[in-house]
Amino acid sequence: MKTYLGIDVGSISTNLVLIDEKNQILSSLYLRTEGDPIEVIQKGLKELKNYISKYNPAIEVSGVGTTGSARQLAGVITGADLVKNEITAHAKGASFFVPEVRTVIEIGGQDSKIIILENGVAVDFAMNLICAAGTGSFLDAQASRLKLPIERFGEIALRSDNPTNIGSRCTVFAESDMIHKQQIGYSTEDIVAGLCQGLARNFLNNVAKGKNIKPPIVFQGGVSENLGMRRAFKEALGEKIIVPPYNTVIGAFGVALLVKENHPQKTKFLGFEISDKNIKCTSFQCKSCPNNCEVIEARIDGEVVARWNDRCGKYSNLKYD
Amino acid sequence: MKKTIITFARWGNYTIAFKTIFDQLGLEVIPPEPTNPTTIAEGAKISPEMYCFPLKTTLGNVLPGLRKGANTVFMVQNIGGSCRQRYYGAIQKKVLEENGHQVNFLDFRATPRDIYRTIKKISGASSWQIIRAARFFFKKLRLIEKIEKKAQFYRPREIKKGTTDQVLTESLTELEKLNKEKDFPRLRKEILKSFSEIETEKDKKIPRVALVGEIYTVCDPSINFDLESKLGKEGIEVHREMDITYHLKKLVFPWKDWTIQRKINPYLRSTVGGHGRDAIYEMLHYVKEDFDGIIHLLPFGCMPEVTVRPILEKIHLESGIPFLSLSLDEQVAEAGINTRLEAFIDVVRNHYNSKQ
Repeated sequence: MKTYLGIDVGSISTNLVLIDEKNQILSSLYLRTEGDPIEVIQKGLKELKNYISKYNPAIEVSGVGTTGSARQLAGVITGADLVKNEITAHAKGASFFVPEVRTVIEIGGQDSKIIILENGVAVDFAMNLICAAGTGSFLDAQASRLKLPIERFGEIALRSDNPTNIGSRCTVFAESDMIHKQQIGYSTEDIVAGLCQGLARNFLNNVAKGKNIKPPIVFQGGVSENLGMRRAFKEALGEKIIVPPYNTVIGAFGVALLVKENHPQKTKFLGFEISDKNIKCTSFQCKSCPNNCEVIEARIDGEVVARWNDRCGKYSNLKYD
Repeated sequence: MKKTIITFARWGNYTIAFKTIFDQLGLEVIPPEPTNPTTIAEGAKISPEMYCFPLKTTLGNVLPGLRKGANTVFMVQNIGGSCRQRYYGAIQKKVLEENGHQVNFLDFRATPRDIYRTIKKISGASSWQIIRAARFFFKKLRLIEKIEKKAQFYRPREIKKGTTDQVLTESLTELEKLNKEKDFPRLRKEILKSFSEIETEKDKKIPRVALVGEIYTVCDPSINFDLESKLGKEGIEVHREMDITYHLKKLVFPWKDWTIQRKINPYLRSTVGGHGRDAIYEMLHYVKEDFDGIIHLLPFGCMPEVTVRPILEKIHLESGIPFLSLSLDEQVAEAGINTRLEAFIDVVRNHYNSKQ
């Protein structure tokens, strides 16, 4: 049976999705990156291998696509057929579940983006520039400060009838404003709900500023799990917010769809064995010209498989077998 | 008095032409250090934090020269119209003095008269020598701009990837070495020949993207992360109107500004400094020409470009042309730029395909 694997390695989570020829999701994994993309990819592949040998040993991987901020690294160590930016991947995934989608709001661990689509293809997009306010890691930090499990964060927000107003232009100030509200005695529910509203407002004022937001609106990414954020967006936009199935792994699903459409003749996938191999990345500075590029070198079991990040192509154009 | 040893700020490939002037006039010159992460970091370290990005990089460019014994820095004023660039000379002098460098700043206005006077004063050369040096400067400059334009055309169409960039780098190296004007025609011919020898698919139909924005970031590939080359390798033809000739033409023939103002009247009714108006004018022009995307480049905190950005976004919403605005400074990571650029390229392709 032919299947296609999509891998999305982000700052906080790493997702793997395996789809079949009929675009059915066979298996999806949501793992924490924890600052070690190589190890988490190996771990993910190992779990996937266990799944395949347990349920359907006839599965063969006919194509691999990678996305996310570590897409290039993931592409090198798995031997991907397609390395795609996360914006295109998310747009693809969203338009599969909601074909007429016009706006995609995606909030992940460290970045947030808005994508405007027409007829199923992206025509405009924006990403957060300098500030990470409103992304998953900020919510994570606030949840642990309030001693709330992040999974229950949204549910608590929904309990509030009277959210307080929390200044949200900047993460640091949002946090001090939140502390201030705690000190003067607001209830946790109201603060949590106010925080969600503030973050939605921040997103719409900064990232989505000047964009043509039209329904249907799809909300995805890790933060879309948060019920409080869903409600905040619904109230701020005055529109229905659609959260598609597999909302947390939709980037990986999108890139799996893209690689399937690309129909690789023969996949370059290095096989599940790489999860047992010793993969190391090092970098060195090229002194050949004044650009002084930091060249990154990936080795599998001591052998160089790829080098990248040079401007002129001196190293990246070499053939490594 | 100590002997004058000049160093100056780097500006993309045009640096080669600037160096020629000093060489021709027999002045001792230490060429600026090419812009790389080290020079940028060095410049940013001693610069005022909230000042614009080009001030920091140009300061980083001249520092190594000063350490090697240069005592005079050439800094042009007003190159981008009226904006903070005017004060670069004064601020850099102050910053350098605070850091223990004794420097003499040749801070002059970018008018032909002022340039002539400044050069005359330091070199003591005859008018004839200066005119000859200027002529050679313009010959080199025009050739550099010409091959840059050629490269923009050839890159997306080349059959063997990377050939154009290789030819461009080699040509620029040869041009830098050349210091006799009489050998120039021969080299020009050779360079143009090597470009025409690049194997390409000439009639390939491909998307076209235009670069607009602040002149320094748009023109210098080491500042804008080799944007032109990256787009070219993805099969996109890049256009850019902004270069030194464009700017000099505007200085000599001010009516270009009147035309620009007339064209942009529905959007902006006054000058905002720098090349703010030009960005709007160019974008309107490219929309009319049915381009497939506009990339707007600006250094972080560039007042004229920040002012016109909402106007450009409005034109983008009205016309539907894909638009990406990138603000560059020493804290911007290349990875972030690459992600946006890759996504933008997909958007441009979607736009191009939907037109077919």
